[in-house]
Amino acid sequence: MARQLKARSAGFAALILALALLGVAPAVLREYDTQILLRMLLALVLAESWNLLAGYGGLVSLGTSSAVGLGGYVLVGLLNHSILPLPVVILAAALSGAVLAALASPGLLRLRGLYFTVGTLALAEALRLVMINVNQFGGATGLFLNRDPPALGALVWIAVGLLLVTLLVMEFCAHSGVSLLLRAVRDDQDVAAQMGVRPFRVKLAAFAAASALMAAAGGLQALKLGAIEPYGMFGLRWSIDTLAMVVIGGLGTRAGPVIGVVLVMLSGELLADYPEAHLALTGLLMMLAMRFAPRGVAGLLAVLPARWRARTTGA
Amino acid sequence: MSIEAAASSLVVGVLLGGIFSLTALGLSLVLGVMRLVNLAHGEFLVLGAYAGYYLLTVTGIDPLLGLPLIAAAMGLVAAPLYRFLIQPLMGRGVEAPMMTMFGLSIVLQNLYTAAFSADTRSIETGYSALALNLGPVTVGLVYVMGFAISIGIVGLIHLLVSRTAFGRDLRASAQDAGAAAIVGVNVPRVQMLTFALGAACAGAGGTLSGLVNSFTPASGAAYLLNSFAVVVLGGLGSVLGTLLAGITVGILQSLGGVLFGDGYRDLVALLVFLAVLIVRPQGFMAGRG
Amino acid sequence: MSANNPLLATHNLSKLYGGVVAVDKLTLAVPRGSVTGIIGPNGAGKSTLIGLLSGALLPSGGTISFGGRDVTGLATSERARLGIGRTYQIPRPFLDMTVEENLAVAQWACRARVRGASARGRRAELLRECGLSDVATQPATQLPLLRRKRLEVARALALEPQLLLLDEVGSGLIDAEITELIALIRRIGSWGVTIVIVEHVLRIVRECCSQLLVLNFGRQLAAGTPVEILASEEVATVYLGTAHSQGATAQAPNAQGAARLANVAANPDALANAVSAREPLTVLVAHRPVPGAPAVAGAPLLQLTKVSASYGQVRALRDVDLEVHSGEVLALLGANGAGKTTLALVISGSLPAHGRVAIDGIVVSRTRPGGIAALGIAHCMEGRRIFTDLTVEQNLRVAARRAARPEVAARLDAVYTLFPVLAGRRGDPGAAMSGGQQQMLAIGRALMARPRLVIFDEISLGLAPIIIDRLYETLALLKQAGLAMLIVEQDVNRALAIADRACVLEHGALAFTGAARAVREDARLRRLYLGEAD
Repeated sequence: MARQLKARSAGFAALILALALLGVAPAVLREYDTQILLRMLLALVLAESWNLLAGYGGLVSLGTSSAVGLGGYVLVGLLNHSILPLPVVILAAALSGAVLAALASPGLLRLRGLYFTVGTLALAEALRLVMINVNQFGGATGLFLNRDPPALGALVWIAVGLLLVTLLVMEFCAHSGVSLLLRAVRDDQDVAAQMGVRPFRVKLAAFAAASALMAAAGGLQALKLGAIEPYGMFGLRWSIDTLAMVVIGGLGTRAGPVIGVVLVMLSGELLADYPEAHLALTGLLMMLAMRFAPRGVAGLLAVLPARWRARTTGA
Repeated sequence: MSIEAAASSLVVGVLLGGIFSLTALGLSLVLGVMRLVNLAHGEFLVLGAYAGYYLLTVTGIDPLLGLPLIAAAMGLVAAPLYRFLIQPLMGRGVEAPMMTMFGLSIVLQNLYTAAFSADTRSIETGYSALALNLGPVTVGLVYVMGFAISIGIVGLIHLLVSRTAFGRDLRASAQDAGAAAIVGVNVPRVQMLTFALGAACAGAGGTLSGLVNSFTPASGAAYLLNSFAVVVLGGLGSVLGTLLAGITVGILQSLGGVLFGDGYRDLVALLVFLAVLIVRPQGFMAGRG
Repeated sequence: MSANNPLLATHNLSKLYGGVVAVDKLTLAVPRGSVTGIIGPNGAGKSTLIGLLSGALLPSGGTISFGGRDVTGLATSERARLGIGRTYQIPRPFLDMTVEENLAVAQWACRARVRGASARGRRAELLRECGLSDVATQPATQLPLLRRKRLEVARALALEPQLLLLDEVGSGLIDAEITELIALIRRIGSWGVTIVIVEHVLRIVRECCSQLLVLNFGRQLAAGTPVEILASEEVATVYLGTAHSQGATAQAPNAQGAARLANVAANPDALANAVSAREPLTVLVAHRPVPGAPAVAGAPLLQLTKVSASYGQVRALRDVDLEVHSGEVLALLGANGAGKTTLALVISGSLPAHGRVAIDGIVVSRTRPGGIAALGIAHCMEGRRIFTDLTVEQNLRVAARRAARPEVAARLDAVYTLFPVLAGRRGDPGAAMSGGQQQMLAIGRALMARPRLVIFDEISLGLAPIIIDRLYETLALLKQAGLAMLIVEQDVNRALAIADRACVLEHGALAFTGAARAVREDARLRRLYLGEAD
């Protein structure tokens, strides 16, 4: 028990160190690379949150773009029309994501399996169309950020902070009693209810937490862009890319999101001149994963040592 | 907006609705028989549109004449796709096949962009601009032709499903695959053929859609959601239900456009979809007895 | 059965599925601290009742009250939090968790701030009581069936319930295990937990229950102490079929039917008079292997050698040997959960198995169900499984696979002659028919393939005795026509009346076999069904 605790503390310390390094990295990187770093940090936040929702909660959502877009618009709106300081605004953006989840839950969470997935897709598209057509929110041309955004280096620090919060949330959800409730609801909702678990509340909590984190990431994205419009902020790209990264990396595994984000972004840089080829490759990798490696790259890596041992001992 | 224009818009809605029902039919069949959510359905439709486009521009064959060819080609391509990509996953729950189709949709969408460029296209034939005057109402000829052909195909499929041996096998497999297998139905083969049939419908529907609307490689998502709206409204397993639902969605879309403006057409359909999904109890919600 | 202030009470509780009444205006009361047993034949509504009480099903009418308050509309999770726990007939552990984690779920759900040490202690205690201490850290997927059942109980107890609903916990257990289970139930009762047991294994209800309730067709048939109930003739006839032999034949209400059967089987003229023509039967029943299909001369029609099958980790069949010859009728008997239906599914190709399954001497162990059907083996499935969306005629046509049109027409006519009721309803959807009619349709569907052997799996389930009489008369005609049959039946006497030989399964293995008459008189048969001497 004490050994476990020590290992956990050591792991935690290593994590803080790694994040700190990422935070100071912009000082030595070129601007282009810092941009990539920021993108990667935000992608990690999205991937970890989505993994919580879909991998641990069993709620496969295509509505990532709803939360991202909402967070971005709320942030810009508040920065433009109020004198609230930046930290509060980011918090408000996160809160808006949770509110969206809460409002959508009574309808969406009653849907099971594929109908939930399609429902989230419909919601995402509906939001996008609303934002395009309603001129109060800037319509198709979007909004400009009136306040000066922080410098790139500062943005990276904020992103690191957000990632730390995300990882803490994930840690909590994956390793405590909460994890039991989530897994029970995911595996067999009816039996879970029989054990006194309230499936709706558990799903709502996961949905709200994930949406809040995604919305905060969306806020940061808006901060980075300085100008936002509905096609970009509410575009399906967010939903598709996040899903693909986590599935390739390993849905429901702890390492999956990181592996997936790194793999997909790396291949993105290698194929920077051929964006369609990159995306097509991502889709292809997803299909291959489903067929041959349902737990993604993380799953493959997990069984490799055992298989290697079996082969070398001639078992 | 004048009365004539509003009336014309509604009639166009009905006609478009007929085409919607054809595009949704493939999705409905596959979902009903195999419980497979074909998330690449939208991309199948778009492929049908591109096929019609290039058939016309490259060979000069009118897309309406070439419809059987397009449908057959889609079916022939879809069958092995199902056999080797999806069938191995069919025992493993709903997620794996759904994700595979999603991956496929990503691949297809980007293949289209690479091969056909991201330009907006539409299929323009000699008669595309012709209009029909039915009393106070004016509608494009292509809408009427699209409607007629769609109804025809849907009707044929209805006959296929309700009157033929294959149709019996299909409905038996959809209802109780285990019992169907014991009675002697080759359930995997029925599923493959159903998928091919669904793809053929999507191809034909896509070509007709391309005649009446413009499209881009990214149109798949909107098409998919539109088809889904028709499917949940019309109920799984009912060909005639899909027809009525398609027309209803078409009318609602037109109403949305007339009342709120053109940008709201798709939004109306989506909201209807969400409302039905949430409210309608048959098989779409976690139920208690 | 009423006591002041019962813990659980229902009033006019009903559940309808379309036209089928599963539970019919049931009013009952469960006193605090009691152990109540609920018994009844298959299809009597016992599982539906458990579902209604636990909240998994919404009633169509009536009320349920728990501890004095109305819980009729309350969701399952709320009822669990009030103190209603239940186990599932087929265990449903959280496969992704360890045994101990399975217990922790209820603790965490109901008392999130429970202090770690005391919760852990309680879990350890429960695991000990249920005999699971040695597997506490094992993933639930690795547990065999018996342990999964224990986990069901332990998990429900982790809820600290006031009322525990046990759904057929005893099925599939051997005598020694039943003794342990009875001890466990008694211990749980001594903690003050009120228990309701739905059970087939009469020994458990006899030794644990203070009161017994008998259900039939969703209604209460009788209530009283176990001694009264199990001695009652009325209950015995309805529930036990006629397998409660104390000179069974004379008192059995289907004695008339049995006599008719014997008459028809012995006297060909009576047969000709009973149903218009023998022709339908020649059209529907085949005697020789399908032309073109490989066959080994002299081999039995169906032969199973050392056949074993599992559902995941759970072993359902163990090294079963079995033979059916052309024209022979074999009865397959055994208690609930003994593996009869599993065996039927293995034969018809729906379930993969180890061992050797041979038809006409040719091994078919890896053939698809369609392939088995093509060789002349039809399976009339448990629960009928007709296609409710299709009409009667469509149901029949689906089964006539490769036959030519005139052949199909002839077979349809034959089925309609055999079952005139179906003829009148040929255009009606399957869903519109009564249970008995659906069973006739299922049998007709099996015959449409012109089989040489038909597996009849529990055709008497949930049907009134007079309808079962008629069905078995039809079976007798088919036997006369030379159809080989494998009859899986809970109603032992009916099956043995028509069978030539019988095989009795126990816990997935062959307990004993022999000629029908010999098996009927074998003392082991009674023990299997009724437990040790009363």
